[in-house]
Amino acid sequence: MTLRLTGLLLFGALGAGVSHSVQAQVRHTLTGIIRAADDGAPLPGATVAVPALGLGATTDANGAYSLTLPAGRHQLVVSFIGYASQTRDVNLTRDQRLNVPLATAGNELGEVVIEGTGTLEQKLRTPQMSVERLTAKEAKLLPALFGEVDILKTLQLKPGVQNGGEGTSGLFVRGGSSDQNLVLVDDALVYNPSHLFGLFSVFNPDAVQSVDLYKGGFPAQYGGRLSSVIDVRMREGNREKLGVSGGLGLISSRLTVEGPLGKRAGKEPAKGSFLVSGRRTYFDIFTRQINKLSEDNPDYNPIPDYYFYDFNAKANYTLGPKDQVFLSGYYGRDQFGFNSQGGFNFGFSWGNSVAAARWNHVFNSRLYLNTTASFTDYQYQVSNKLDQFSFNLGSNIRDYSLRTDLDYAPNERHALKLGIQATHHDFGVGRLQAGSGDGSLNIGSTVGYTGVEGALYASDNFRPSDKWQLEYGLRLTGFRSGNQGYVGLEPRGAARYSLSPVTSLKASYALMYQYVHLVTNSGATLPTDIWYPSRLSVKPQRSQQVAAGVSFLLGEGKYLLSNEVYYKWSQNQVDFKDGAQLFVNPDLDSEFLFGKGWAYGNEVYLEKKTGRTTGWIGYTLSWSKRQFLPQRGTSGINNGRVFFPNYDRRHNLTVVVLHQLTERLNLTGSFVYTTGNATTLPAGRFAVQDIYGENLTAVPIYPDRNSYRLAAYNRLDLGLVWKMKPTNWFPESDLTFSVYNAYNRRNPYFVYFDQVRAGGEDTPVTSFRARQVSLFPVIPSVTYNFKF
Amino acid sequence: MAINRLSFFRRLSWLLLLAPLASCDLEQDIDVDLPALPAQLAVECYLENGEIPRLTVTETVPYLASPEPVVPTDVTVRLTLANGQTETLRFFPGINPVTRKAYTHTGTRRLAARPGDTFRLEVTDTKGRRVTGTATMPARVPIDTLEYKFNDLPPERREAYVLTRFQDPVGVGNSYLLQIHRDSISDEAEVDYDVEDRLNDGTRFALGTSFRFDPGDTLLVTLYHIDRPFFLFRQSVQDARNANGNPFSQPSSIKSTVEGGVGVFTVLSYDRKQLIIPQP
Repeated sequence: MTLRLTGLLLFGALGAGVSHSVQAQVRHTLTGIIRAADDGAPLPGATVAVPALGLGATTDANGAYSLTLPAGRHQLVVSFIGYASQTRDVNLTRDQRLNVPLATAGNELGEVVIEGTGTLEQKLRTPQMSVERLTAKEAKLLPALFGEVDILKTLQLKPGVQNGGEGTSGLFVRGGSSDQNLVLVDDALVYNPSHLFGLFSVFNPDAVQSVDLYKGGFPAQYGGRLSSVIDVRMREGNREKLGVSGGLGLISSRLTVEGPLGKRAGKEPAKGSFLVSGRRTYFDIFTRQINKLSEDNPDYNPIPDYYFYDFNAKANYTLGPKDQVFLSGYYGRDQFGFNSQGGFNFGFSWGNSVAAARWNHVFNSRLYLNTTASFTDYQYQVSNKLDQFSFNLGSNIRDYSLRTDLDYAPNERHALKLGIQATHHDFGVGRLQAGSGDGSLNIGSTVGYTGVEGALYASDNFRPSDKWQLEYGLRLTGFRSGNQGYVGLEPRGAARYSLSPVTSLKASYALMYQYVHLVTNSGATLPTDIWYPSRLSVKPQRSQQVAAGVSFLLGEGKYLLSNEVYYKWSQNQVDFKDGAQLFVNPDLDSEFLFGKGWAYGNEVYLEKKTGRTTGWIGYTLSWSKRQFLPQRGTSGINNGRVFFPNYDRRHNLTVVVLHQLTERLNLTGSFVYTTGNATTLPAGRFAVQDIYGENLTAVPIYPDRNSYRLAAYNRLDLGLVWKMKPTNWFPESDLTFSVYNAYNRRNPYFVYFDQVRAGGEDTPVTSFRARQVSLFPVIPSVTYNFKF
Repeated sequence: MAINRLSFFRRLSWLLLLAPLASCDLEQDIDVDLPALPAQLAVECYLENGEIPRLTVTETVPYLASPEPVVPTDVTVRLTLANGQTETLRFFPGINPVTRKAYTHTGTRRLAARPGDTFRLEVTDTKGRRVTGTATMPARVPIDTLEYKFNDLPPERREAYVLTRFQDPVGVGNSYLLQIHRDSISDEAEVDYDVEDRLNDGTRFALGTSFRFDPGDTLLVTLYHIDRPFFLFRQSVQDARNANGNPFSQPSSIKSTVEGGVGVFTVLSYDRKQLIIPQP
């Protein structure tokens, strides 16, 4: 449990005088859990406030809150976006527990129509800046590529977050690369959060509750990556009744079963719940049929098989008034296969396995303990077979992790966090096995390492006055692989100052270390990526970020306008030599190049969360730069000149609008405009004939890396969610229509140079031309979702 | 068998991404503004024992320039032989009737080269450009055996693969180029790939092909033992070409075996065997 006693001052004008007057009084602590009334699921981020005192708290990831108040009668307001607020009168004579169920606004779209305050005020008041929260419910309303809702892709619509290319789910946060994101699902690490070469993320929206994205000002409990924290929380199952939900889409279907564990006691929900969710794509079913119909055609080239599937499971159980356990798991695989008619078989599979077990213990209303054991594994395997010859290669990384986090709130002004974490890494950097059935060929090679990573942290959320709130902490990290070890001290700090009840100033600083490195020179998330520890010449990556911002609550609390500036500087950034041998290389460290990075920018964000029309507008002006000086017998990159990484974007504008037309009809739209990718095109060429043969081959000569800009990217997506009338079979169902790239813009995916010939393939080349390739035209889709 | 690159997987991933949308018109011609690179001398020279030394000197050009090679006429080529004698190759453009390769400069005497012999090349022009290179002839590595095997398909679709076996000398750093020509070495090779002994030094190599040869085919199997610079040059050329049109690939600079320009200067050392695929 990560108690977040942010001490909200909902009515800041009253704050100062009241807080001084109550200090001398007897105080008691009110604790409890805020749950959804329909399924008993905890509601993280709900607000429990005493408006008369200007005091309040938000619930943590388990829906738990803790609020210290003067003894006596108080009127509590419990609210959460999408749920009807509740008012409760309490007479506080001792420390008490109060669990409050909140009813939804009556339909799934309710969260965008319910009038209420809370979230925007929370964002205004918290010292935590550079954080974005997105719920699966919000993501499900937005139009999606092929109708496949993807919570990570939706995060790309937030300021400061860039994508890696058309349609991909990779996130590039404030000038950082995609391997510098710490992706957690229920506190367990996910190394490669992508399916289908990055087109879809591994997170099934039916199994996800919400995701928090930290772009800066990282709290001390997070570490291990430089650029961002993507904290995904899985949904807990329904504690009230057994339920089934799912969806039928263009390329995949989903099914989720959830229900209570144990019996209900009166009006209280069951002691536990479970949730099992799975999905699978099915275009392989069609391609197999096509192949079967053409198997008699000797000239036919079979279409390769491809599909992915994943499973999510979560269970929780309340052992007693002070103990609760949670089990979470994820298993997903992408499978690619090709069987030629000539006896050549090719198989390629990759995926993550993740498991976490957490024990939550409440010592008392001020002291909580969470202990989590987790396991994560990412692997890929390639296998070829030609007659009696076989060839297999693969790589994996596996972590075993144990962490304990203690939350202690000695009084209403302080909320302390202490924690310790240890992780054992197994780096299977490369495995190769080649052999023949007759034993005449047998080659095997394995390159692997182990590493141990540890962390110790402490932080305090301190509210010295009504105007000031501080969050500061220190994280001590260490890493050891082989005979080498590294230690890092990572100070973190954030501050909020309230200029007025509707205006806050914020600032933050964070230093981060990253001890594991992604070995890739593709610039994209691929299944063949390899992770490598800090060892030999490969030092830990390091970055520091400062950010400052101002937030205004406008329109009587309906709008929040924020502006943040940031500057990030990084050392020991990694890249690779030209033509580096990255696979099964026992001297892989010698292929690394090391450099510096800088990123800075300004993010403007206007959001509206209440009313019939909600959404946000974000604009980012940013620069990201890197420099790799001559080193290790090479000229570095670009002979040491500064260059832009391909995800550098000068301008990025996103507009997201959700509008409830009627109770059953919801219209959505999103628009994206961004500067084109930086890329490298060959500026020159020369001819090579090779040893024999008369054919001339044009060999490209490349100028400085990423010296060319693709055309600007812009796209409009439209969506419509039509909630259908309840039937006996399906009390809840909807049809979700999406139009991706509504005005059919041919956005650049990449550019290549082509030869123009006088006639067929054997005729002479007459000229060369540049061709721009787009990935997706306008793509309409429809998805049917149901729940019973 | 050594694996040199993962570029195959990048190409594969690109194919997978595009496959569903292959029928859509998603390509268009565009104008691009490219930086102007200075013109360099480009050299291509493969010395071979018993053959007259010849080489091609051209210039690098902007990528979108005319496809006709730019051949400088003011170039002087000097070849220093293993015995220290220097021969000036004259500018006399022509086509090698055996290999059908074009050349710009040629010698007059057949070359005598033995494994371990070192040769030096100097190419200069009147603009002050100077390209130099040094190459040593590797030892010949003989082909042990050539094998073939047919697939199990009906007779009209029956094809064979070919397996080339040889012994790699002890000591990491050996690289090989396997070429298989059908009928004549003047045609483009049916099979053309490089391997190195990074992972299986000193072992018996077995280099295979896919099922692609027909009964009755006459195959010329050539195993080149190539030096490291030539191997890296070939790899970098492949990488550079693959990067054009592959969004997942990082463009690679050319690792020339010469200095002062681009290109390759090497001495060939090979074993060649003929294999006739019989009727099954």
